[in-house]
Amino acid sequence: MDGAQGITLAAVGSHFFVGLSRAMILFIVTSGLSFVLGILRVPNIAHGSLYMIGAFCAYTFNKLFGGGTMGFLAALLLAPLVVALVSLIAERALFCRLYEREHLMLLLFTFALMLILDDLVKMIWGADYRSVMAPEFLRGSVNLFGSSFPRYNLFLLVVGPLVAVALWLFTNKTKMGKIARAAAVDREMVGAVGINVSWVFAFAFVLGCYLAGLGGALVAPTISITLGMDHDIVIEAFLIVTIGGLGNMAGAMVGSLIFGITQSFGVLFWPQFAIVFPYLAVVIILIIRPTGLLKSVW
Amino acid sequence: MLTRRSVTTGASLVMVAGLLAIFLGALLFQPGLTYARDIKVGIIDCYSGPPAVYSKDALNGFKLALKEINKKGVLGKKITFTTRDTKFKVDLALSMAKQLVMREDVDVLAGIINSGAGLAVSEAVAKKEKVPLIVWIAKSERITGEKGHRYVFSTGENTAMAGKAGGVALSKRPYIKYWIAGDDYEYGHALAKAAWRNLKKLKPEVKLIGKSWWKPGEPDLIPYITSILAAKPDAVIFCTGGRSMTNIMKAIKATGMAKKVAIYIHTATDHAVLKPLGAEAPEGVMGTMDYHFYYPDTPENRAFVKAFRAAYGNPPGFPAFHGYITAKFIAKAFEKAGSLDKEKFIDAMEGLKISSPVGVIEMRACDHQAVLPMFFGITRKSPEYGFVISSDIVTLKGDEVMPTCEEIMQARKGK
Repeated sequence: MDGAQGITLAAVGSHFFVGLSRAMILFIVTSGLSFVLGILRVPNIAHGSLYMIGAFCAYTFNKLFGGGTMGFLAALLLAPLVVALVSLIAERALFCRLYEREHLMLLLFTFALMLILDDLVKMIWGADYRSVMAPEFLRGSVNLFGSSFPRYNLFLLVVGPLVAVALWLFTNKTKMGKIARAAAVDREMVGAVGINVSWVFAFAFVLGCYLAGLGGALVAPTISITLGMDHDIVIEAFLIVTIGGLGNMAGAMVGSLIFGITQSFGVLFWPQFAIVFPYLAVVIILIIRPTGLLKSVW
Repeated sequence: MLTRRSVTTGASLVMVAGLLAIFLGALLFQPGLTYARDIKVGIIDCYSGPPAVYSKDALNGFKLALKEINKKGVLGKKITFTTRDTKFKVDLALSMAKQLVMREDVDVLAGIINSGAGLAVSEAVAKKEKVPLIVWIAKSERITGEKGHRYVFSTGENTAMAGKAGGVALSKRPYIKYWIAGDDYEYGHALAKAAWRNLKKLKPEVKLIGKSWWKPGEPDLIPYITSILAAKPDAVIFCTGGRSMTNIMKAIKATGMAKKVAIYIHTATDHAVLKPLGAEAPEGVMGTMDYHFYYPDTPENRAFVKAFRAAYGNPPGFPAFHGYITAKFIAKAFEKAGSLDKEKFIDAMEGLKISSPVGVIEMRACDHQAVLPMFFGITRKSPEYGFVISSDIVTLKGDEVMPTCEEIMQARKGK
């Protein structure tokens, strides 16, 4: 009584793409976490809360601009910016004083921040479920290998790689990106050559959080926006960062793909135990390669 | 000889005596105060996080009923209440419930959305301290089923009733091949079991071709839907609630699933689920619900909805209805009992009938479960409301959807 009779090549194909589109959201959120982990060495548990704030802001902006395509685009542009602003304030007021502390302290601190942000969200938006509608041209589904594939997931398949390319260009081709990478390897040396490391860190932190907000805004039309959505993603994001290699952008991509696709195939091959698959993949990878698949910057 | 010291000692003695007199005097008035004290209901529920939407709605319904009740009073007293936030945690719920009983000396405990907390408080506080507990949202059938006892009541529908309602309604439809999918926790599994057991009993030829379970709140349900569609069932029973509810409705709409296969989800026709989805709510999904503010269209229901709207700005959801009837039950039971005695209250509750917005509701004596009707309907866009509502509603009577008293007693013996 499993779904065995339903497994055809077409089903495998469509599940691959479904998993791929989920991996794109995971990648966008995870790359932000990985960025902050790699450069600032801060295990930011509040990353999920920023993702949640992104989704709630997307709801607000979408409503403010009257929904539809206009509302959607406004939400996509503005919601991550609000998250970036929140993170800038948090960084300048709090984080920048704490970088030298041990990881356990930082962990506790970001955990506290997560609780505070969660309560803030409840105070601002309340406990109701919110929903954002995808714009007209992204609603409904297309036929893919004989099964229906939501248009919005196609859109995610386009956005994900775009973000990945933009991130790669930034870290490898711009001066700021190169400094950030250098600071990740040896922050004292970067300081010694006369670069204001404090602002490099602030920028890196804000960028990482912007990605969390972007992930939240992108996921908004596909789920119910609600308190608690942060907890799920932050656990998954930390797992992905761990299997991909801490602070490694390509690792975040590889980890997200593994996570998204094993989940999707798990549902197809063994639906009753689908939940287990991505975590099983994580366990196996960590047994074989305890430091993650790609090189960790730590 | 009066020394200075003895003067001060004397003065302080007088002061102590004076204070004592004031204190004793205050004590003298105390019995009079306790004698006329109000009926106190201790409400334990989760007022933080996502469940707060439901628990606040329930509390509003409860408060609205109290406003009406306290105009007349019960046994010459008022009913008052005090709330405690459990934060959806079982241990917190337990300590809050204990504190309400020991320190606040409440007459009745009520509330609880979390089934785990409901079962724990029922066992460790209600049963042990002999304080009546009325659970109003938690949907575990074990509360008044196998784990039921003299001190616990439920004014909400439970998984056994919901599952049976689904089974009864689906047995009248032509589908043979079924797929069951849902949240991988007690609510999902209990609902699935009850629905399938009843459907199979009423229509033995049905076949279960597959099952899939996801973690509660799973954000990406598209792969589940694609794999279900690939197996080509006639109908799918989704056993899900809370956050996953919105997620599955969105995924159904995005994949156009409702056009390809029959779908039944308990609470799919719930206003709290459909309203936020707006135009994104899928049409043609079958659902069951034990309360709609727009159905039945009776003067009683209209009056309740109007009063609720006036007080809180939005129409009542099913929790508000549960909270409302809970207050009515409490008031009427104390009136019938004639005193604040807890045992007499319980005796009065058993078999008690109250009038409610959806008609007369009885508190079944054998298992302390309120006999609630269930409304089976199909989601359809309403030109009147501008969003999707339940349509073609068929009312399944309370006794039709509830496990029989014999079944309950069997389950209780079986534990």
